[in-house]
Amino acid sequence: MEINVLKALGSAVVTTSVVLTAVAAQAADYPARTVEVIHQYGPGGGTDRFIRAIAEPMQEATGQSFVPISITGGNGVPAYVSFLQRPANGYTLVSLSPDDVINAALGRIDLSQVMPLVRIQYDQGLLLVSKDSALKSLDDLLDAEKANPGGIKVGVTGSAGFDDALIGLFNEKAGTELATVPFGAAEMVSNTLGGHVDMMYEEYGPTRGLIESGDLVPILLFSDERLPELPDVPTAKESGYDVTLGRWRGFGIKPDTDAAEIETLVSLFRDASANEGYKKIEADSALQYRSEFQGPDEFKAFIDEEIATYTEIMKQLGY
Amino acid sequence: MLDAFISAAGYMLGNPMSFLLIIFSVIWGIMFGAVPGLTGIVGVALLIPFTFAFDPTQGMLLLGGVYVGSTFGGSISAILFNTPGSPEAACTSLDGYPMAKRGEAGKALGIALAASAVGGIFGTLVLMFAAPPLARLALEFGPAEYFALAVLGITAIASIGGGSLIKGLIAGLLGLAVALIGLDPLTGVARFTFGNMMLLTGVSFIAAIIGIFALAEVLQRFADGLHKAEAITEVSTKLPSWAEFIATKATLLRSSIIGTIIGALPGVGATTAAFISYSEAFRWSKRPELFGKGSAEGIAAPESGNNAAVGGSMIPLLALGIPGSATTAVMIGGLTIHGIVPGPMLMQNNSDLVYSVFIGMFLANVLMLVFGLRAARLFALVLKAPYPLVGPAIVVLCMTGVFALNNNVSDVAVMLVFGGVGFLLKSLGLPVASFIIGLVLGPIAEVSLRQGLILADYDFVAMATRPIAGTLLLLSVLSLAYGVWGQLRRRPPQDPPNPQAEPERA
Repeated sequence: MEINVLKALGSAVVTTSVVLTAVAAQAADYPARTVEVIHQYGPGGGTDRFIRAIAEPMQEATGQSFVPISITGGNGVPAYVSFLQRPANGYTLVSLSPDDVINAALGRIDLSQVMPLVRIQYDQGLLLVSKDSALKSLDDLLDAEKANPGGIKVGVTGSAGFDDALIGLFNEKAGTELATVPFGAAEMVSNTLGGHVDMMYEEYGPTRGLIESGDLVPILLFSDERLPELPDVPTAKESGYDVTLGRWRGFGIKPDTDAAEIETLVSLFRDASANEGYKKIEADSALQYRSEFQGPDEFKAFIDEEIATYTEIMKQLGY
Repeated sequence: MLDAFISAAGYMLGNPMSFLLIIFSVIWGIMFGAVPGLTGIVGVALLIPFTFAFDPTQGMLLLGGVYVGSTFGGSISAILFNTPGSPEAACTSLDGYPMAKRGEAGKALGIALAASAVGGIFGTLVLMFAAPPLARLALEFGPAEYFALAVLGITAIASIGGGSLIKGLIAGLLGLAVALIGLDPLTGVARFTFGNMMLLTGVSFIAAIIGIFALAEVLQRFADGLHKAEAITEVSTKLPSWAEFIATKATLLRSSIIGTIIGALPGVGATTAAFISYSEAFRWSKRPELFGKGSAEGIAAPESGNNAAVGGSMIPLLALGIPGSATTAVMIGGLTIHGIVPGPMLMQNNSDLVYSVFIGMFLANVLMLVFGLRAARLFALVLKAPYPLVGPAIVVLCMTGVFALNNNVSDVAVMLVFGGVGFLLKSLGLPVASFIIGLVLGPIAEVSLRQGLILADYDFVAMATRPIAGTLLLLSVLSLAYGVWGQLRRRPPQDPPNPQAEPERA
């Protein structure tokens, strides 16, 4: 009984959009058990690790676990469908990323069935070559393309996903014909190091060890500004090709979830993303520069923009 | 290097907790391997949060031990119930279960255990002493080489069933066809999914093998009627006699080498290693006609191969920071959560960690011998129960395991369908081994062929004449010819051998 009153009070406060003192609006007994976060990537991958990292402070705050559930394959569609099949009780979240937006842009899934909850990370990617590569810079790359259009092969992960969209957009802006070759994440690195593919696209976090040892050499960054970690690596933007797309990571929930529970989750995520331990993990992967916390409304507006952007890109790429 | 070993040993002796963790992790791993649907990957992933309580080195010891234990554990249920507990044990069912049905379950388990330990220790020794050069060798393998390797394995489908060439080909090609279901790995277009969203992932390999082996066997036993069913009576486990063990030494050595190399290749792991070891063991065996009917070599090959692949897949992980398998990919996640940057500098910057893992994995392989025997005995107790109780229990366990694997109900449907497929294959006399080889190696061959063609600007000759790829493809052709010749030679005298095939003998 008391619970219902609290929940009702919570919804009332939200709907009348009174300035919230977050505590009053939150569901007092939520979460009462483990919250599952469905994602489409492998265990141990970037998103899986991100969920574990952000869950740590949330666990401390609530005493409940937040566990990643990995449903891989099928370009993320099976993960999303599994999420839709779960009840709207606040105990199932879904990870959202540009891959989901691209799926929506290609008509594979309907993103209106999910309520964007929070966006937490915003990454930036690099073009990387092996230390033995003849291509040492963006200029080398452009010259090689001019001499032999379509001759440069770029290793990417995923098929017709985010990486393809980014390389496609770069081709559009730079007038190049870089061809993408999809690999698994590990084979992409080994094929680049082994010289089977000319270069690869990847974020800083997973490649940091190989960059620091000098085996992989970053030649181009896709972001607004250079990374302090890699001060010599130019951005595509400063070279005149306005490609700043990055992989972002956030969460969604069923739209008909109790409003007070949503409010609780948002404030839990907000606190967790500012947590010192979590911040350190972000900094390990140079993720702190573009990662700006977004609540439900901002995130929704952001995703709508992204859908428009990617619909346009995918159309230009002929998908 | 010796300094590093001494320092790491000092660390472990200074932290006796390390040894407890290794013991715990091996037992945990064997259990996860043995229960269908709970795989080594799940076992490792579940333990990652627990590693927070320890320092990174102890965390890695924990994960490494699970990996070692789970790779053997799968063979227990594969041999006793024809239910591969994990995908890498699928191949062990092919000969392990027939041997168990013959009343020699203990011997089959003993061979699997001894072979696992030999393979595991071999892989770990290579990891200890040759990780950096072998990691560099693995980098020489591009898509063309992966393709050639898969082709080498696939050429076995025609002959491996022991029966007719045609039936082997039919089963193998069916396996290849099933492997096409799902999202096209290069272009992202749905293939043969009939509008079912959940099939976009493709046919889950674990669900398929559990259906083909476990469910089909239960169906078969009930179809045969209870009176006919042979009872597996002997459930004690004993290591094979020295003579029996020595008899498989060539197989053990060959499979350990194959397993270590395949393990070191990123993206392919213990399952592929097991199947290629099996098909090579068959190819070089003096008694290939015993394969599929309970051959000792047929158990020793996949088990030494898949356990060698454990050490092998740690090679690129520790030397380059690239995971050699799905399980090591999870381990990388575990490392980075601890703030350790995996990469080529790991062996220098964290040498205590790396060398402790070496020692830990070695110990885990030895401990596996001790606990493997006990675990197998424990599982074998189930056989004392009457089959009308055990059969349905296996089905229930398989269904929950397959569901738990990916929280995906359609995987359960896939398992049920493949139970029927397995039953049909058997009824028609089509070799299950060929079907599974097509299913395992088909996707590797397809993806790498297409990647290789893009990289070679669609010039197949350029792709096939690269040194390693060319050698492997040549070996495939030769062994295929040798296999065909062997089959013709074994035919009854009224069917004279094809004279044209004779010169292939050389």
